[in-house]
Order: sequence, then C-alpha cells, then structure tokens
Amino acid sequence: MVNFVSSNILLLMILLPIAVGAITWLVRKSYAVMLLITVLYSAANLLMALVLYTSPIVYVTIPFASFGLDIAFSTGKYSALFLVFAAVGLLLTGIYSVSFLKDKVYSGRFMLYMFISISMINGALLSDNLGIMLFFWEGLLCTLAGILLIGNKSNPKTAVKALALSGTADLLLMLGIIITGQQAGTLYISGIEKLPVVGVSGLGFILMMLGALGKAGCMPFHTWIPSAAEDAPTPFLAAFPGTFEKLLGIYLAVRLTTDIYDLQPGSTMSTVIMVIGVLTIIFAVAMALIQKDMKRLLSYHAISQVGYMVLGIGSALPIGIVGGVFHMVNNVLYKSSLFMVAGSIEKQTGTTDLRQLGGLGKKMPVTMICFVICGLAIAGVPPFNGFFSKELIFDAALESHFILYAGALLGAFMTAVSFLKMGRAAFFGTPKVPEGKNVDSVRESGIGILLPMSVLAALCVIFGVANTLPLDRLLQPALGFTGSFSGWPHSAVLVIVSVVVLILAVADHVYGSIKSGSAVNAADHIHYAPVLRHIYSAAERGMFDPYNLLMHVVNLYSALCVNIERGVSWFYDVAIVRAVKGAGDVLRSANEGTLAQYLSLALMGVLGIVAIFFLVL
Amino acid sequence: MGIYVLIACISVPLFGSLILPVLGRINTKLRNAAALIFVATAFACAALALPSVYRGTPLSLHFEIPLGLSFGLHADGLAVFMAMTASFVASIIVIYSFGYMKNYENQNEYYMMVSLFIGAMMGLVLSTNLISIYLFWEISAVCCWRLIGFYRNDLTAQRANKAFMVTVAGALIMLVGFVWIYGETGTFDLTEMKGVLVPTGAVVLILFGILSKSATFPLHSWLPDAGVAPSPVTSLLHAAVLVKIGVYVYARLFSVTFEIPDVFTVAVPTIAAVSALISAGAAMRADDIKRVIAYSTISQLAFILLGISAGNEVGLAGGMLYILTHSVAKGGLFLCAGIVEHGLHTKDLAKMGGLYRRMPLTAFAFLLCAFSVMGIPPFGGFFAKFLVIESIMETGNVTIGIIFIIGAVMTVLYLTRLFVKVFLGPEPAHHSKDDIHPVTREGSRVMVISVVVLGVVSLLLGVFVSLPSGLVSLIGRPL
Repeated sequence: MVNFVSSNILLLMILLPIAVGAITWLVRKSYAVMLLITVLYSAANLLMALVLYTSPIVYVTIPFASFGLDIAFSTGKYSALFLVFAAVGLLLTGIYSVSFLKDKVYSGRFMLYMFISISMINGALLSDNLGIMLFFWEGLLCTLAGILLIGNKSNPKTAVKALALSGTADLLLMLGIIITGQQAGTLYISGIEKLPVVGVSGLGFILMMLGALGKAGCMPFHTWIPSAAEDAPTPFLAAFPGTFEKLLGIYLAVRLTTDIYDLQPGSTMSTVIMVIGVLTIIFAVAMALIQKDMKRLLSYHAISQVGYMVLGIGSALPIGIVGGVFHMVNNVLYKSSLFMVAGSIEKQTGTTDLRQLGGLGKKMPVTMICFVICGLAIAGVPPFNGFFSKELIFDAALESHFILYAGALLGAFMTAVSFLKMGRAAFFGTPKVPEGKNVDSVRESGIGILLPMSVLAALCVIFGVANTLPLDRLLQPALGFTGSFSGWPHSAVLVIVSVVVLILAVADHVYGSIKSGSAVNAADHIHYAPVLRHIYSAAERGMFDPYNLLMHVVNLYSALCVNIERGVSWFYDVAIVRAVKGAGDVLRSANEGTLAQYLSLALMGVLGIVAIFFLVL
Repeated sequence: MGIYVLIACISVPLFGSLILPVLGRINTKLRNAAALIFVATAFACAALALPSVYRGTPLSLHFEIPLGLSFGLHADGLAVFMAMTASFVASIIVIYSFGYMKNYENQNEYYMMVSLFIGAMMGLVLSTNLISIYLFWEISAVCCWRLIGFYRNDLTAQRANKAFMVTVAGALIMLVGFVWIYGETGTFDLTEMKGVLVPTGAVVLILFGILSKSATFPLHSWLPDAGVAPSPVTSLLHAAVLVKIGVYVYARLFSVTFEIPDVFTVAVPTIAAVSALISAGAAMRADDIKRVIAYSTISQLAFILLGISAGNEVGLAGGMLYILTHSVAKGGLFLCAGIVEHGLHTKDLAKMGGLYRRMPLTAFAFLLCAFSVMGIPPFGGFFAKFLVIESIMETGNVTIGIIFIIGAVMTVLYLTRLFVKVFLGPEPAHHSKDDIHPVTREGSRVMVISVVVLGVVSLLLGVFVSLPSGLVSLIGRPL
C-alpha cells in the first residue's frame, strides 16, 4: 500500500508540474490566482518530496523506448534528498518570481517554463536509468532557451551562448552515459556495480563529470551565466544558475563519485577534478572582484562557489563530499537570497549598477539585514552556515594537497573582499539613486519578495548555529558515511587560518577604499595592478571565454570545409565537364572525314578481330 | 485481401499519377484531391500491412517470370516502417503544396511526378528483387530530375541535370554490383540470398549507388545545388524521402539480407564521419537558408548511415528511428523555409531577421523541428541520436563516437545560428518599413498548418517514442 502511494506520488511529481504550468499560463492575467496556484503547488510539491524522503525506497518501471531506454524511477540513495532540496528551492524562488514579475507581460510564460523545468528536474533526480535521466536533463535546454529568449528576441546572444555551451556539455554527458552503460552492461543506476575509473571507464567518468559540472556552472561551461546576468530577469538567476542547475549538477557529481564510479582519494582523476574546482574558484572570484554591477558580481560568485563544491566532492573523501553537498545547500540558501536582494534593489531603483547606488540601508532595512547575513555566510564568517561547509572542504583539500588548500584560501579572501565592496557601496554612505529617480521614492520591497529573502537568510543562521540539523539529520542518513561532521570544526589551525584570511580581506578593503576614495572602487588596486591589469582587460574582452574560443575554432574549421566544398563543386561543375568536352574534341579531331583514314581504321579493326580469334583458338 | 494491399500500395500512386494530368485539365481541385488520395492510399495500405508484421507473418507475394527472373513483394517491419514514414511525410507535403504551388504553371506535371515518385518509392521499399529495386530507383531519379527543373530556366535545368547524372551514374555502377552478385548466386531474388557473403568489390560498387543517392561526401554535391527547386520538392526529395532511399537499400541489403566483409563496419562509419563533419562545417557558413538545411541533411544522413552500418541491432533500430524523426523534422524545416522564401522572395540569410513577429507560427514550427534535428529531448530526434551513438560505441570505436558527438554539437550550433538569423534579432534595415515589404506575413493557412503538424509530430515522436521504437525493434528479426 505504501509502495503504491509512493509510486503514484513519484509520477505525480513529474506529470503534475506540466499541468500546473499550463494552468498558470492560462490565468496569467490575474496576479493573485497565479500566486495562489504557485504557492499551493509548491507546497504540495514539497509535501510530496518529504513523503518520498521518509518512505521506504520505491522503484517504478514503465516500458518506454526499447533497447534499455525504459522509464525507471527510484527514490533511492540521494534522489529523495535532492528532491526535497529542489522542492524547497521551488517554494522560495517560485513565490519570489511571481511577485517580482507581477507587472511583466511575460510572467505567465516565465512560470510555464519554470514549472516544465521542475518536471524535468524532478524526473532527472528520480531517474534510475541513465538514458532517461539524460532525457529529462537535456530537456532542460528547451526551457532554458525559452526563458532566455523571453524579452530578448531581438538580441538573442545569451540564449545562443547558453544553448551552445550547455548543449555541448549535455552531448558530452550523452557520450559518457553510453560509455558507462556499455562498461557496466546496464543503464540502470541501481544495477551498476561501482566501476573503476581507469581506461575506457575513466573516459566515461570524465565525460559524465564534465556534463555534471557543466550543469552546475563550473568551468569551462560557465560563461553564459554572467551574460545572462545582463539581460535575463533576476528570478531566473536565482532559480536556475542559483538553485536548480546547481542541485542537478552536484547531485550527479556526487552520484558519480560515490555510487556509479569508484573514485579513489588521491587518484589522478580525483586530482584533476579538484584542480578544475580550484581553478573555477580563483578565476571566477577574480572576475567577481572587479564587477561594478550587482547581478554580474553575484553571477561570478555563482560560478566560484561551485568550485568549492567540486573541490570537496572531487577529493572523494567522506569529509569532502559531505562538505561539498552541505556547501551546495548553503549556497542555494545565501545565493538565492543575495540574488533576491539584487532584485529587490533593482525593483526599487531601476538599476543594479553599484556606481549609481549608495546608502540604501536606511531605506531598505530588511533587504540590508538579509544582505549582511548572507554576505557574511558566503564569505565564510563564523557562525554562519558557509563557514562550516567551507571548513569541511578546506579540511579535505589540505588532506589532498597543500596547493589546493592555498588556492581555496585565495578564493575565500577575494570572496570576502568583493562582498565588502558590494555591501558598502550599496547600503552605506550617502543615499544615492540613478539620475531621474527620486531618493525619497525608494521604499522597502513588498512581502512576496521580503518573505522568501528573509526565510533564506534565517536558514543561513540556523544551518550555521545548529549545523547538526542539516548535517546529522539530513545529509548523513542519505550519504551514509560513518562518523559525524557536525559541530565546530575539529582542526583549530584551519579555523585560525580562515579567520586570518578574513582579517586580511577587511584590511585590504580598508586600504582599497582609502586609496581609491570610495567603497565601490575598493578593489581597483587589484584590478589595475601592474600585470593583472592586462590579464583583466583581456578577460573583459572575452579572450578567455571558452565560448569565444569554441566559436573561433568552429569558424576556422567551417572556412576549411567551405573550401573543401568548393573543390568538390569544382570537380563536378568544371573538371568533369571539361574532361567530357575535351575527350569529345580529341575524338572529333581524329575524324577528319577522309576515306583513306576510315578504310585503314576498318582494316585494322578486321585484323584485330582475326588476331583475337586465332589467339583464343 | 493481404496481397492486394501490397499491390494497391504501389500501383495506386504509380499508375494513378498517369491520370492526374487528365484530371488537371478538367478541374484543378479534383486533381489536387486525387493526388492527395493516391499518396494517402499508399500510407493507408502500408498501415494495413502493419498488423501482420506484429503477428510475425508479414504479407508477401511472389511469382516467377520467364528467363529465371521473379517478382516479389514483401512487407516486413523494415519495409512497412519505411513505407509509412515516406508516405506520411509525403501526404503532408502534398497538402502544403496546395498552398505553395497555387500560382505556378505546370502543376499537372508537378502532381504527376510527386505521385509517380511515391509509387516508385513504395515499389522500391517492398520489392524483394534486385532488378525491380533498380527499376524503381531509376523512376525516382527521373521524377527528381523533372521536379528539380520545375521552374524551367537555365540554372534549374543545369542543377537538375547534375542531380540526375550523379545519381544515375551511381545507380549504373550499383547495377554492375547487382550483376556481380547474380554471377555469384545465380539469382536476383533477395529472399533466396539470405546470409550470402558478398565479395568486397560488389559491395563497393553498390555503395556508389547508395552514397550518391543518400548524398554522402564526396558524392553529395548535387543536393545543396538542388535547392533551386520549389520548397515542397526540396522537402520531399532532398530531405524527407528520396535521400532515404540510399540508406534504406543499405539496410535492406547489408543489414538484413547479405553478410558483408567486416571491413565495412569500420569503412562505412568512417566515410559517414567525414561526411558528417565536412557538411556540418559547410552548414555553419552557408548564406542561403535552403543550403544550410541541405548541408544539415547531408550531415544527418551520415548519422543514419552510421547507425545502419555499425552492424548491430541497436544501430539498425536507431538508424530507422532516425529516418523517421529526421524525415518529419527536416521535411518541416524545408517547408518553413518555403514559407519564408514565399514571403520574402529571397533565400539570402543576410536579408532576413526578426521574422518571428511576422510569422510566429512558422517560427514556432521551425523551432520544434530544429530541436528534433538537434536531438534535444523531449523531441523524437533525441532517442534516434542516442541509439545511433550507442551503436557505434558498442563496436568499440570510440574515435568515431567522439567525431559524431562533435557533429552533434555542430548541429546545435548551425541550426541555432539559422534560427537566430531568420527569426530573431532585428529586422534588416531595408524592410523595417512596411511599404517596402508589405507582403511579408504568415504563409497561407494550409501551409502553416502543415508545418505546425510536422513540428508537433516531432514532439509527439519523442513523448510517445514507444510506438515507433516498438516497431523498429522488430526489424532486426530475420526476413
């Protein structure tokens, strides 16, 4: 009976969102009805996820495509846990989106795409068949392109970039899945015995990992996110790069390292992944440091934070994996909230450009408090949640290699510096708004925006102070490692080093503010430092953007193909025509019409036939 | 009634085509309706043969004729699947033609050739005799020649000649291969040749025919050039149906009938890989809407060829599923291009842009079809692509697998580029004012409905993939 109920709930979680999305679209004219449906459905979705999380594991199999591509769902391992995370994410970002897009003509379409995405996300998390997981996973490309095209049909650059980069990552994932399926002899995740990460299996692992990292927004598939920060609606940033895509990517990364493959700590592959993680942290946060626009700044942090998760999970150590997943949860909490803060300010002032803002703290106290809490959390200040997950990851990094730890610390330093800059520029100092706007007209945002933001901020505090709750109650049962990772970090040295880094960050900010004379330019001394200046200016021009590199290669390659095509066409249209005509001319010139010539030819022919006749006989 | 279904499937469109010009002189509406009925009859008959396939007793017909020759029809899973795919897409294209061809001359010939072509296609698909396959093959080439040269000017005549000569030259070489096989086995009857090992030389000769018909590098050059034909012709011949003849015959001969030397399970995928990559690169740069789609067709045909030539059951099934999803989606893309061309009187991409405002439904249908060709779920193309890649990985050839993944990435890139250039972005300056391009609006109702149907079917083929995949999984069974 329980099984029957669970399996129906499981299918509902995938089918219902599509119906709800369609209904939301139909009632798009009425804000109140849309909000009501979103709240009710999100709550129901969370409830269903919790039921699945607490019930015994169920398996559902439905014949679909032949050849091992049957629909198979399971709530086993971390599926149900991540389902709960996604449901919480939907509850908060869903309400926020409806409120934020209240007066926009496209709100109905946005919510339609969002609910279809939820169906895909739930499907991908629940799939027990890698092929079907890919079906849901890649299906997100459609809604991603759809949302990015909303309002940008005249300037579809970001959508194209996202489609190209995510599409590439997804196709690599496809190849990885096929290799994995062949190595394991089955596409069923529950049927795969942990594969060793060597030889062809190693290729399968790294391809699947690239797919997972690409979804999570890790290098090298990340560059569409800062572009999206410029022209996509803020709720999209909070919901997709901020929450859902991270959940999916990290889910698969964890599943890969602990369940499908047997990644050994200290192995080459583990090091490769950790290096990708560290590079992502450093490069993304270095770019975040110099941004003067809140949405762009946050979007670079959305990338750099993935680096920490990848660093932790890539270590293949229990402490690193727990830290990575915990960091993902924490990141969803503070990053969504921070995006909402940016959105809240944008809604009131019409801009997210820090150069045009200042002193908003008095006008928007709740927004500021949320920002302060979440900013401290992302910077890794105790006792907020980000501190604890970062310490776990630092522990794993140090155990693997000192350099990796040092890189992660550098990232932490720059994170703190960039949030000091953003916070001081936006909320402190003399009140300032863009020209044409009245400072006095700026008010605190409405409840639909403040509520999700505050709940998230509160959770940042709770998950930090009472970290046994998420670590021991939520993660530990699902991940199943022995030992406890909750409480105060066990290594005093790590904590002291982290605190020193934070103090250095404050010192650097104070130095930068005094030197440049304003908070918004506090990072200029790094931005315009002798060597860095050139690197930064190259990066700003997109020289290091893998998308640009990809398009460059494709352009060169297609030019080559066009030339090959010209050659082939020349062969058909010119060479053959000339050859035929030339042969005709030669034959014609051989026939000049004299009797003697024809007679001698005829005679030679007769002689030839006679000769053959005799030879054969 | 069994065998009458098979005979009707071929002869209704084949011989019916001959009375279409007569009907056209009486009443054009009557002629149009008759053309649709003939093509739809082929679809209905093919569908009627389906239950027997599922029962495991395919409809079959066989009789001897003098000189040791024979004539036979056999409706197994492979044949029925192909016949239904071709006639379904052809029916939609005929409906679309009612709108597109309305104002052109020589429509009698047009509908006659289309119907004749479908008849030949059905005959080719159902035949069990190499000589009948060759005859139907050449009928299709003649139809192709007349249809590409439909506009009767120098350029189209030249392009039509090119297509005709390349494919007929290929077919003649293939005929030599057939005769070689006759020399080995003493028969042209495929049912008697099950499991025969064919010499390498004969396979190579036959491949010339197959690769020229299925426009595979370097025998593909006629296909992009054939874009001068009216769009429904391009769609029918150069995307949806005609070019599938080659890959179908490959499957019929080398997958389910003959044994071929192992070298071809490496050689043919390699040819396919080269073809896929070069045409994808050319599609990135082409500046003519129909050339982009034509190069895309060459590239996608390579995926089909890859699946079928991988030599395993998954590959054959994936290849057939690919034929279905690609026929529907690529047919739709060409028909959308036709609506755009009709509205703008140009095929030049530089003169397009922002058309989603004027043609929202066409843009929508184009996007659905493009997603299917890209292989993005939940569209049908996803499963086909997945199975095809899986089949080559099953042979252990990782390099070819990676090349095709690159090809798939290129597909995403060039189709996105095409969609963006045509439908998104700003409208080009010279027709931003309504007085310059007053006629640019959505195509006629029947045309728009046709493309939307193809787009939606592309989606349904993914969501309800169990129906076609159930059928293709039967194909691997013995003849």
